[in-house]
Amino acid sequence: MTIWERFDNMDRRWVYLMVALAVIIPFLVPMKFDISITPEVQSFYDAVDNLPDSCTVMLVFDYYPSTAAECEPMAIVAAHHLFRKDCKIITLSNIPYGGPSMAETVTRAIAKEYDKKYGEDFVNLGFKYGPIAVLKGMGISIESIFPTDNSGTPLAELPMMDSVTNYEQVSFIFEIADNATADYWISIVNAGYGVPMGVGCTAVMAPKFYAFLGANQIVGLLGGMKGAAEYEILIGKPGTAYRGMDVQSMVHFVIIALVIIGNIGFFVTKRRNRKKSA
Amino acid sequence: MSGIEILQIWIIAFFTLALFSFLYKDNPFYRLAENIFAGLTTGYQVSLIWDTVIIQKLWDPMMGGQWWLFLPGLLGLMMFSRFSPKISWMSRVPLAVVMGITAGIFLTTQLHGFVLPQMQATMNTFVTAKGFADYFLASLIAVGVISTMIYFYFSHEHVGVLGVTAKLGIWFIMISFGAHFGYTVMGRVSLLIGRTQFLIEDWIGTFSYIL
Repeated sequence: MTIWERFDNMDRRWVYLMVALAVIIPFLVPMKFDISITPEVQSFYDAVDNLPDSCTVMLVFDYYPSTAAECEPMAIVAAHHLFRKDCKIITLSNIPYGGPSMAETVTRAIAKEYDKKYGEDFVNLGFKYGPIAVLKGMGISIESIFPTDNSGTPLAELPMMDSVTNYEQVSFIFEIADNATADYWISIVNAGYGVPMGVGCTAVMAPKFYAFLGANQIVGLLGGMKGAAEYEILIGKPGTAYRGMDVQSMVHFVIIALVIIGNIGFFVTKRRNRKKSA
Repeated sequence: MSGIEILQIWIIAFFTLALFSFLYKDNPFYRLAENIFAGLTTGYQVSLIWDTVIIQKLWDPMMGGQWWLFLPGLLGLMMFSRFSPKISWMSRVPLAVVMGITAGIFLTTQLHGFVLPQMQATMNTFVTAKGFADYFLASLIAVGVISTMIYFYFSHEHVGVLGVTAKLGIWFIMISFGAHFGYTVMGRVSLLIGRTQFLIEDWIGTFSYIL
């Protein structure tokens, strides 16, 4: 059996082991690869940075805990950026699992750093089932869709919500999603009410959203952990996404090497078999 | 770090490792974690919808005087008639309402939210182009859009000019699949990084409190 045939028949668990090592080693020995800022992240940062101070922004947690590794750094860094600008943050979620509690954990932890108070500087509306009805309904009245916040306090008792009736009082929406709810925000809220939007999504979804970016339907795009890492650099708060980029690069090297070796092996074996049969 | 927090981290670590163990081979730990996950998510979703939809959006407003909400409530109950063959016809009524509303909403949102802005942006690439590079990219977009659309035109046999254009469309689709696959790999690796970060930083971090 030639080396190529051995490689072809290699137990896949060796590949898992190689990937595992490529993930663990950079955590123990950081390599600090350069991270360049892409135009889509820069335009997102600029859009948020140019918002008027103290304006109201919706930070939407439409991702499940399973993709928190990619999406949560975006939420954390956006909360830092918005609180720094004294923006009022409304968080909500259109997905049942985890969204409201992740919104609560992220915003409360970061609010402490900036001395922001719940009800005055940020509000967590929680979750409501049915994104289409929810998004359309909030165009008329947020209170009619979310009569209470996530912990059951009526919106009328939260001072920040006194001046917010519907999307007209919202200056920007940052939708962080790992599912189709981002499409609803673009097609219903951005197209219907003209609220400027930025999208943070998992890497799997990112190629699709470049079309919306090209058509100026969204002002910026954070694609996966790389997008989050770039945003962390821009606001000067390197976090989990930044630390993960060394690992990302290392695993990509391993995968690219395996793809190249696998293809060489395939063609060499094919050529030998053809010679043998001739 | 409190004892409860340490316990919480150890439970998360146990289930993470139990699920990772499937990479070696199927085993009882993996199946335990899988079944607990399925049970928990189902129970959580049922209780959440009961509270946020049935109680908050139907029962409480009805008790508060909005009696007309019994109509959508009744439509919802009619869906359960599917379980009895004799009265299953009743479920067609709420289904018809849902289909009608969904079609109406989607028709406008898809047209205004996706089709028209995307068409406009595709056409505008030439209008907004400045310099050779922009015109080249605009032409590439135009050729890509037209050839891909022709590939999905099945009312005529793909021969001659139509066949060549459709083949070009396949190339554009393949390049798009390549970009999607690349991003998918990146996304999956990110999830693995997230779990590894947790195990190395949080879970192993608890050892210093325990030992």
